[in-house]
Amino acid sequence: MHVALHYLGVYGVGALKDIALTIVSTILSIILGVLAAAGRLYGPKALQIAIAWYVEIIRGLPAILQLFIIYFGFDQIGIHFSPLMAALIWLVAYGVGYAVEIFRAGLMDVAQGQREASAALGLSPSTTMRKIVFPQALVAMLPPLTSFVVLQLKNTTLLYLVGFADVMYEARLGVDATNQAGPLYVMAAVVYLIISLVIGRIGMRMERRAAAYR
Amino acid sequence: MSNDVVVSARNMTKRFGNTLVFKDVSLDVHKSEVVAIVGPSGAGKSTFIRCINRLHPFDEGTLELLGHRLTGGKAKVPRAVLQDIHTRVGMVFQTFNLFPHLTVIENIMLAPMEVKKMPRAEARERAMALLEMVGLPHKRDIYPKRLSGGEQQRVAICRALAMEPEIMLFDEPTSMLDPELVGEVLGAIQRLAREGMTMLLVTHEMAFAKEVADTVVIMADHEIAEMGPACEVLESPKTERAQQFLSRVLKPEQAADDFVAARTASQGGDR
Repeated sequence: MHVALHYLGVYGVGALKDIALTIVSTILSIILGVLAAAGRLYGPKALQIAIAWYVEIIRGLPAILQLFIIYFGFDQIGIHFSPLMAALIWLVAYGVGYAVEIFRAGLMDVAQGQREASAALGLSPSTTMRKIVFPQALVAMLPPLTSFVVLQLKNTTLLYLVGFADVMYEARLGVDATNQAGPLYVMAAVVYLIISLVIGRIGMRMERRAAAYR
Repeated sequence: MSNDVVVSARNMTKRFGNTLVFKDVSLDVHKSEVVAIVGPSGAGKSTFIRCINRLHPFDEGTLELLGHRLTGGKAKVPRAVLQDIHTRVGMVFQTFNLFPHLTVIENIMLAPMEVKKMPRAEARERAMALLEMVGLPHKRDIYPKRLSGGEQQRVAICRALAMEPEIMLFDEPTSMLDPELVGEVLGAIQRLAREGMTMLLVTHEMAFAKEVADTVVIMADHEIAEMGPACEVLESPKTERAQQFLSRVLKPEQAADDFVAARTASQGGDR
């Protein structure tokens, strides 16, 4: 048996960690992202500006620098995060920055006439958002959301730098131990590719369902 | 038409920023009266009826409707008042604005269920009755995208009627329709008029205005140029601005000739 195949087991565990982290951070990013997008569009001026700046900062700083600031930077001032905690905080902080823009674009994509028609029928602003605007915005948001989830999955590979034992981390360790860079990295690549293909499939299916009326 | 005034606008003025939309508009609408507002584009007709159900705020003047008194300016209208107005005043838009992600019958059932908390079965039954009325019961389960413009507008009328409004506002309901589909929508509106619905209608269909409206208002250059009984205003307008507008819409070939003549004259001058 090829030496690389001994790593299948740890790759599996690493992949599960990556998947779990992607799912949890995506869910949290989406929830916070929806709220932030609503704040960005309809909130008080100060909040709008604060959120706009948050997006600029997240988008403008290299991802790896954000991670290092959270893990190593905060350690300097006495706040110590475990690799898992740092990973989660970073992925959510980073994810919200992107999710805000996706949701904002989606909400703005819904025609003004829809809101007017809804208001003219006496529907409250919250019902309008829930029943009229959001379902339509979702159709515009799903394709970038799918890409976003894949991006988050790929971001997890950076986490080996803070010692989070995912697929990438195990691949690095394996290469150091066995000198089999080719097979081990290709195996890692296959793992990430399979997961992102599955995410793409799920996204496509949701898209088709949400856009059935078009 | 009775003597109860249900809408009373007094000196209403509206601006978008520094741009004047309409000024000093005063108008009374009685119960069961049909008021048609006609006039050239950009006169402020659509914005005016949108101010009546407060889709837009207005800047000056007062508006009394359905027992509420609204004043122009920045002051916010209480949520409950706004809700009451929206519930009792129905609106039909130029662009239909049906909810594309809901089927025809869901479009009609939504507001009664959400706003009036009507049970689903009852809402469905009433929606079906409305669809029968406009001749579209067989379209109930399809999405608006699959309907023609005329069908979409008839569904939009049903959607507004499902809330049992006391006043209906029509904002150029046939402007987006192919000519052969205009009739079916006008038919539905005419039927409402006969049943005694109070209506304000912005339209470019002069013949229809004459036939269905009790009162015609001609708006031009951001104000009311003339108003009065439909036949009187449309057949023998008194003000010059109204005469000018009507001669243009009622005799389009003449207007086209004038236009060509004016152009030729001005170009000739250039050369």
